[in-house]
Amino acid sequence: MRNDNKKSVTVGIFVLIGIIILVTGILTLGAQQKAFVKSIRVFAVFDDVGGLQTGNNVWFSGVKIGTVKKINFYGDSQVEIEMNIESAAKEYIKKNSKATISSDGLIGNKIIVIYGGAEEVPAVEDGDRLTAEMPLDTDKMMETLQENNNNLVSITEDLKVLTHKIANGEGIIGAVLTDSTLAQEFRQMMGNLQRTAINSSRMTSELADFSDKLNQKGGLMDDLINDTTVFASLRNTVSALEATGAKVDSAAANFNEASEGLTREDNTLGMLLNDEQFAEYLKSTMGNLDTGTVRMNETLEAMRYHWLFRGAFRKRDKANRE
Amino acid sequence: MAGEPNKKDKVLGKRIDKFFMGLENAYKFVKRFFQEVWFPPYEFKEVIRQCYQIGWNSLPLISLTGFIVGVVFTNQSRPSLAEFGATSWLPALISIAVVRAMGPLVTALIAAGKVGSSIGAEIGSMKVTEQIDAMEVSATNPFKFLVVSRVLASTFMIPILVLYTDFVALLGAFVNVHFNELVSLSTFFVQVFDAISFLDITSSMIKSLFFGFTIGMVGCYKGYNSTKGTEGVGKAANSAVVMAMFLIFIEELLSLQVTNFFRQL
Repeated sequence: MRNDNKKSVTVGIFVLIGIIILVTGILTLGAQQKAFVKSIRVFAVFDDVGGLQTGNNVWFSGVKIGTVKKINFYGDSQVEIEMNIESAAKEYIKKNSKATISSDGLIGNKIIVIYGGAEEVPAVEDGDRLTAEMPLDTDKMMETLQENNNNLVSITEDLKVLTHKIANGEGIIGAVLTDSTLAQEFRQMMGNLQRTAINSSRMTSELADFSDKLNQKGGLMDDLINDTTVFASLRNTVSALEATGAKVDSAAANFNEASEGLTREDNTLGMLLNDEQFAEYLKSTMGNLDTGTVRMNETLEAMRYHWLFRGAFRKRDKANRE
Repeated sequence: MAGEPNKKDKVLGKRIDKFFMGLENAYKFVKRFFQEVWFPPYEFKEVIRQCYQIGWNSLPLISLTGFIVGVVFTNQSRPSLAEFGATSWLPALISIAVVRAMGPLVTALIAAGKVGSSIGAEIGSMKVTEQIDAMEVSATNPFKFLVVSRVLASTFMIPILVLYTDFVALLGAFVNVHFNELVSLSTFFVQVFDAISFLDITSSMIKSLFFGFTIGMVGCYKGYNSTKGTEGVGKAANSAVVMAMFLIFIEELLSLQVTNFFRQL
């Protein structure tokens, strides 16, 4: 009897643990697949669902927010998808959000991705229909890829012709690569270009230094640009220079008038400069004067040894020597 | 009771006639079970005793087998997934394999070997030693006491053993995945439950009920119809295991078709 009770208790515990495993599994599965959360129904109509199945996930911003509930044909050849979206996520999905079909990995399951939606547009509600955006068609991708392949073949063929011509020394590049003289010139040209570049660089550097100096505090340019006092002073100087210029103009006019007077013979200087007769006369006078001066010099030299003046000259010489 | 068909009564051939007569007997046996199971007296104590024998006593063997299956299956699946860099899919792959097929199948096959043979041998030895006849004489319904209790116990214990097997196999898989891919327990179980659906669990439980019923029913049928003394007991135990395993595979195939039908709805 006691043994029977023991067996009953053991079986009871065994069954209980089994049921706990089952219930835990169901609750975990339900929680993970959002089976027990309050949800709303949202629809989208696609031309092609690409193998989407009931139970596939619905993602929004990379987060699973629901599952595909039903897949029905719609209209002529379209497919209507009914999605269960958890109520907690509906405030983030706007009425103008779009739905597209994607994959949760390179070879993963098909999923519906909801994206977009303007902030000012109200949130989606039960029974709303989202705009379906057709996913990238693999066939079309392959077609584009094939077209790219053809283009690549064409490009490589052209390249083949080009490289053949270059190898044979045809064209400028071919000549550069095969003609040693041209290559030498090209090298020289490159050398010149390099030197020019170095000079340009140095010039730029010097210009930079110069501009630095111009901008240096207390410098002329800086003062000119930034110091209002200097500018006012400069303006005054310019005004004074203008006045001086006017005076110089006036003086130049006077000089001009005077020089014009010198060309005429109605005045003393003009007559001195222009009258030849007077010049001859003056020359003769100057000659007489010179002769007179020589004679006078001789006379004065004679006076020096005259007994009447000899003492006075000796006194002067003595004073000069001291 | 099925007997050897007489040469004079031969219809389609000795073996074919025997086969169809065996089918009729099996049908009658199952029919009798469903007739007896609803009406008192209910042999609760015997059912509990059989639950203890079938469920609790099988638990160590089932747990060990489940754990090994989880580890081995994970290890063997890794290279194929690693070829295209998808080892992160191991939890999902194991989850689908264990919950949908391997858990119920491994449990049922182990139980068919252990429980089916034990029931067949036990009832068979009671049959050849005329204990069943003695029970009838002492006004005890031997079918209700021996067959109904064992079939009920087997039917209810196998699904529970399947739950244990699933759990232990997933633990074994986690140990392997954890040490190789450094996946945490929570991440592992999130991926496990992400890959399966309610339909998987439901179909697993329903087919486990059928597996349990088949194991119990085949064991009891073979034992109840054993003949030829001790040789018949061994034969009953052996054929109970073979027949139960064969039927389990047939049921697995049928359940796959039915589940796929519901999956596509």
